[in-house]
Amino acid sequence: MSEKERCSRESGPGVAKSRRDFLKQSAACAGAVVSFGVVGIILPDDVLGDETVDYDWNKHRWVYLVDTTKCIGCGACVRACRAENDVPEGMYRTWIERYEIPVEGEAHVDSPNGGELGFHAVTSGMEVRKAFFVPKLCNHCEATPCTQVCPVGASYTTRDGAVLVDDKRCIGCGYCIQACPYGSRYLNPTTRTAAKCTWCYHRITKGLKPACVEVCPVGARMFGDRKNPDDPVNEMLATRRVQVLQPELLTKPQCFYLGLDMEVR
Amino acid sequence: MQPNSPLRHTKHIFRVGLLLFAAIVALILGRSFFVPDTFGQYGPYRGANVGEQASHEVRHGGRQSCQPCHTDEFEEQTEGGHGTVTCEVCHAPAYLHARDDEKIADMPIQRSADLCLLCHQQLKARPPGQPQIQPRQHLEENDGEPGPESCFECHEPHSPL
Repeated sequence: MSEKERCSRESGPGVAKSRRDFLKQSAACAGAVVSFGVVGIILPDDVLGDETVDYDWNKHRWVYLVDTTKCIGCGACVRACRAENDVPEGMYRTWIERYEIPVEGEAHVDSPNGGELGFHAVTSGMEVRKAFFVPKLCNHCEATPCTQVCPVGASYTTRDGAVLVDDKRCIGCGYCIQACPYGSRYLNPTTRTAAKCTWCYHRITKGLKPACVEVCPVGARMFGDRKNPDDPVNEMLATRRVQVLQPELLTKPQCFYLGLDMEVR
Repeated sequence: MQPNSPLRHTKHIFRVGLLLFAAIVALILGRSFFVPDTFGQYGPYRGANVGEQASHEVRHGGRQSCQPCHTDEFEEQTEGGHGTVTCEVCHAPAYLHARDDEKIADMPIQRSADLCLLCHQQLKARPPGQPQIQPRQHLEENDGEPGPESCFECHEPHSPL
């Protein structure tokens, strides 16, 4: 028998595999699959703290509504947000933009200190045809681009609709900050982790409104629950003409706007 | 062992099996070491973080939290022209002043005209229904003295005109 023939006899398809080998290999494969399966299952336990023990996130679907026609640009919301959430100086989880549309030319948009210290009369000297304030915050998008780019699973959407960041998990890579088309996220300079509006998750889970909604003196900011049929915000969403920011991005924002001008981005 | 015996590969398969077993053990140990306990509980994130976020301190108590101790001011304020402005907008978040129904510090009382002008400085962008003034012109028209607390000479902040 030549060398070539011997090789083909031993390793070729003609050699029958013994039943024992086959079973051994099958068992090994099955074992591997089962092992992966077992590791993948993590036993559930009660994670919500004592204070929120009555809160069932399956019974809520939060939604935010801004009436831009009411906003007076006082900045109370921005200051309240900073105090409530320890937002570092120079960073904003919510801010107010002022749009001034001249008789001719492009719209002028400003947001000095995020509107935190109010606004001053415009000095640019242009003749303003119309002007208005637009409060902004994280849109808590249903199809959010920010959580899907997180490489470590630090950013996620809760079952009641809030988009949150786990600061113990975040590695501060900044992908989510770049992914957000609304500029709603920032890198906390102290912790070096991404941070954003949480809709004051610690408040809404205790039956309170977010701090910005709580302090708004003119009711321009509203917060509601999609799963509560008696909610006034739900009623407004159903009957009024609402818009979202940059609908062409298909991010399905859960922050809706009344009286939004076409100039607003 | 005969060269054609069906058991001639046993040793090799055993070695490969051992390697595979070691790899699986390493994977399980590695995973349990690197992946947090509650990761994957509700989705691809650390489930315990939901409770951590929910347990942050509430700092703004809302105007209802002021009512028990400041009943008179509460009534005057809610019925007046500033009825929609909650206490904490002009003062400070309640947590700086009281905790567990006990006063821990004085609440700041702001009397600066700058505070009033946050809402009442005349601006084109404000809705027409908002009461607005040009401070200098307003003082001249009403014989007011310019100063940091000039608004309070005529206006009572809890229930202004």
